[in-house]
Amino acid sequence: MKHLKPLNAKARLLEEAAAAGRPDEVQLMATVAGCASTLDPGWEVDPFGGVAGLCQPMEADLYGCTDPCWWPAQVADTLNSYPDWNAEAPSAQRDWRVLQSVFPKK
Amino acid sequence: MRRITLACTALALAMTVAPALAKDYLLTGAKPDKLVLIDAKARKVEQVFTVPDAGTGIFTITPAPDGRTAYVILNQWESVAGIDLTTGQQVFRADLSSAGERVKATFAMDISPDGKELFVIESPVKLLPDQYQVQPARIAVFDTSAGIGAKPVRVLPAPRRTAVLMAAKDGSKLYALSWDIYVLDPKTGAELGRHPLRTWQRANFSAPDVLDVWPQWDATGIFSTPYYTARTDLDASNPDAFKTGLATLDLASGEFQTVDFESTSAIIFSSAINPARPTEAYGVYTTLSKIDRAKGSLLQRIELDHTYYTVNVASDGSELYVGGTMDDVGIYDTATFERLGEIAIPGGADQVLASLRLIQR
Repeated sequence: MKHLKPLNAKARLLEEAAAAGRPDEVQLMATVAGCASTLDPGWEVDPFGGVAGLCQPMEADLYGCTDPCWWPAQVADTLNSYPDWNAEAPSAQRDWRVLQSVFPKK
Repeated sequence: MRRITLACTALALAMTVAPALAKDYLLTGAKPDKLVLIDAKARKVEQVFTVPDAGTGIFTITPAPDGRTAYVILNQWESVAGIDLTTGQQVFRADLSSAGERVKATFAMDISPDGKELFVIESPVKLLPDQYQVQPARIAVFDTSAGIGAKPVRVLPAPRRTAVLMAAKDGSKLYALSWDIYVLDPKTGAELGRHPLRTWQRANFSAPDVLDVWPQWDATGIFSTPYYTARTDLDASNPDAFKTGLATLDLASGEFQTVDFESTSAIIFSSAINPARPTEAYGVYTTLSKIDRAKGSLLQRIELDHTYYTVNVASDGSELYVGGTMDDVGIYDTATFERLGEIAIPGGADQVLASLRLIQR
């Protein structure tokens, strides 16, 4: 951890927990759901370090990630922040042109 | 007397034959608000129901034991609706959030064997003026006859991260898949026991990684889930250092088992067991796998034409169905893995994370 510097309050909490010998609080969670800071490989790389293990095609998995807020940094979060993002696009493979970028509300 | 004997024989025969007349139907969801009932063997969509106020769509589907009603989690995880599978009418509705508290039902839901109570996981957050305050997870228990505007008849403490709830076949226990599988008292929520997953103590094996939100035990009453674990006594570059296994829980007997069946070479999202050959399990994702869970071996694996999340098995064990993700349900012969056909979802809408349930009626 000495080479990592926490940038926000949550990261500082993680660092404090690790330093205080409470490793359970900083272990990765199995079966996480809902806007979780999951570190599972996904959009970029599969568990084998390649891409063959990713969903095929990516559109098969797109709404499986947006609708339960699985990777809110990579895809729009329709669970809380952008509930209508794919409302006009019921098929990701067919309707992807309808999908737009999202931006944080001011 | 002979006439009575004949009548009794005929009645007994009718009672024996009657269950065989029940047909398999599949239930799935489609964006944004459709509940789809499929006649499995006829390869056709029987009915499409529109569910009110569904939000982005349907997640978990829990059929009533009599197959007449299906309960669905929808509306961005904030509501549960009960749909009459004959009329399509919404006969039950519980909106979980209230002023100042946002409640998400994170996948886990099941119904008591008598069909009278519905168990729903709740993850609540207090929306305070200056902060969001995470509340303890809980299980809301609903009376299924409560109709529209249902409120819980009791609230049970629940393990965090619960993603699957399973009612024991005799109704005496409620199982909650979280880090471990917790055995709960369905009346009080008291922990009666625990089947270890995350806390297992296996020499030279890491804690397993489990990601399962799939109720797919309809034909067998046996829950199953793939898990992934690492050998801590082998170098990570060794292909045998990573193992895939199958954890199973018999909802009738309570028997819990884990078995490694291969050095990890594919991702499996969800699994189901064959009712005719219970040692045989099927795992699905971008490939379809056949697993011998008695011997702990991989029997067969084929590529699929696209990724599917869900798999369920016909009540006679002859064929299996893969669904979720996109707009079709694929049908495969369980013996040969030959693709027998597919059923297109009307309108071409994605099923996404909707359960694929099997009912008989």
